[in-house]
Amino acid sequence: MSNLRVDGKGRINRDKRIRFTFDGVSYEGFEGDTVASALLANGVHLMGRSFKYHRPRGPVTAGSEEPNALIGTSRGGAGRFEPNTRATVQEIYEGLTTVSQNKWPSLNFDVGAINDKLHKLFAAGFYYKTFMWPKSFWDKVYEPVIRASAGLGVSPSEPDADAYASRYLYAELLIVGAGPAGLAAALTAARNGTDVVLVDENRELGGSLLSEAPASIDGKPTETWLSECIEELSTLPNVRLMTRSVAIGYYHENMVGVAEKLTDHLAYPPAGAPRERMWRIRAKEVILAQGALERPLVFDGNDRPGVMMASAAQTYLNRYGVKVGTAAVVMTSHDSAWYAAFDLVDAGVTIAALVDVRSSVGDHLLSEAQARGITVKTGHTVLSVAGKKRVSGVQVGRVTGDGKVSDITSVSCDTVLMSGGWTPSLHLFSHTKGSLHWDEENEVFLPGEKTERCHIAGGGRGLWSQQAAFDDGVLAAEQALTSLGQTAKTISVDVDGDRAGSGIVMEELPSNDDKLLAGHL
Amino acid sequence: MLLIHCPYCKEKLPELEFEYAGQAHIARPLNPAEQSDAEWRDYLFIRSNVRGDHAEQWRHTHGCGRYFNALRNTVSDKFIATYEIEQPRPTGSEEGEKSNEQLES
Ligand SMILES: [Zn+2]
Repeated sequence: MSNLRVDGKGRINRDKRIRFTFDGVSYEGFEGDTVASALLANGVHLMGRSFKYHRPRGPVTAGSEEPNALIGTSRGGAGRFEPNTRATVQEIYEGLTTVSQNKWPSLNFDVGAINDKLHKLFAAGFYYKTFMWPKSFWDKVYEPVIRASAGLGVSPSEPDADAYASRYLYAELLIVGAGPAGLAAALTAARNGTDVVLVDENRELGGSLLSEAPASIDGKPTETWLSECIEELSTLPNVRLMTRSVAIGYYHENMVGVAEKLTDHLAYPPAGAPRERMWRIRAKEVILAQGALERPLVFDGNDRPGVMMASAAQTYLNRYGVKVGTAAVVMTSHDSAWYAAFDLVDAGVTIAALVDVRSSVGDHLLSEAQARGITVKTGHTVLSVAGKKRVSGVQVGRVTGDGKVSDITSVSCDTVLMSGGWTPSLHLFSHTKGSLHWDEENEVFLPGEKTERCHIAGGGRGLWSQQAAFDDGVLAAEQALTSLGQTAKTISVDVDGDRAGSGIVMEELPSNDDKLLAGHL
Repeated sequence: MLLIHCPYCKEKLPELEFEYAGQAHIARPLNPAEQSDAEWRDYLFIRSNVRGDHAEQWRHTHGCGRYFNALRNTVSDKFIATYEIEQPRPTGSEEGEKSNEQLES
């Protein structure tokens, strides 16, 4: 298998090699890798199959929003198998065993994929309509067939062998998300002496700073600034930092449930250690700094292995030192994918074409692309993707005035990176019955009326640049502290080389078909 | 998880310590034998189903153990007031969206 690691990139520990298995094959990665990043470094994109049509699937993201790369995991021993773990989240450790899902008899050759060819027969609701009658067939015939062919993963058959702990915690200020906004809020409140808890689902604090480091922060290299920031926060007695901790629910009166993963990254967990700890954190004020999620674009074949979000490719490169492919086509309607493309070119990836559906983009983007020798196709779109278990090329055409596509050509590539802009991550806020309002200008849902004492900062408010996120984090902390009756001393964080950008929203890309096949489940 | 102010303990405590105990201010007829079947049925079973402020009884089961009354908005699920069992329903409860915290202070 090819090695797609990039020297000098990534936050993995190259001194510590780790072996794990995927579908019985042994792979090597480094400490700090996820299953997805380690497999991608080995050139493996095919990580599962879809549950209905058994279409081959690879990872489309690099985080907890992953819909495709779901795997079964085990550290060996009875009661330690778990289905539906995101390969993009699960860290590798020596001895980790992983398996793909929804395949029979194997991931590479799957009989159920015939459904994909017959998809016109299998209308929506096929299972429910076809397997209804006669009733007596349910137990013996239909259910086993459906379970075997349609389920998501395999249910564990033995009792869970692990122990789980539960704790209560109280804080003046709880901050969810440790990207630029969350860190700025934490610094502001922490220096003020406020009792702060900062939780983040990742192994490391930093959020988007880990995936796309600006040139410098406060005149220091981003990495230096970040480690000094974490050092400061971790030495203050009024601050508690929690990593690998997912805020899973926002309940009445500012109670937030947080699931802290304790041992799923360790080859040898301490005897008797709980696997996870469930925290019920009651905070007087809450700041949600959960950033934004990149939107996929709709075109035929956008679920093929090798098609992923542009930001995911950027994360795999900058955080894990992995090239997701050698020749990529970028399909975007937002500036952010241009920056992802620049990072990839600088790391030695060929950008076969940078396709932007917008007819004009900023001159600075065009000149940066030109300086890197990237073929730019503005006012163009990707029509379809070639390749089954891995992308082999795309069809690209020019968008005409009437919304159709002409001058269609083929471009070879092994990766397609898409970006349809960004959507604020407001799931937790929505738990509180907080309303969302549609922002016409930016075409996003933004937080509206609140029912709890919470503040949204950064990407959650539709602010896309890191400088804006830092500033907004400070502002949110000031508001929270005022609400606590404390006087906040303001701070400032200055970003150099910030990559602000904008874009447009496309519900569906232009195409010459009347309608794309809706949803390849 | 809600925080509920017990009017006897004079403390705001987690919902886990409390139990819901039905609609408030339903007086037991002084002489049940004189009730018609319909009146007795109404007393036993007929309850309101309010969309808005609802007067209800709660019991501080894992605390002082006493029953008390509360006014809670069934749409926002916020407590507007809690008060001792023999007190009448508070007036001016149209501020249904205000949390009990604001009213306490
Ligand atoms: Zn009490």
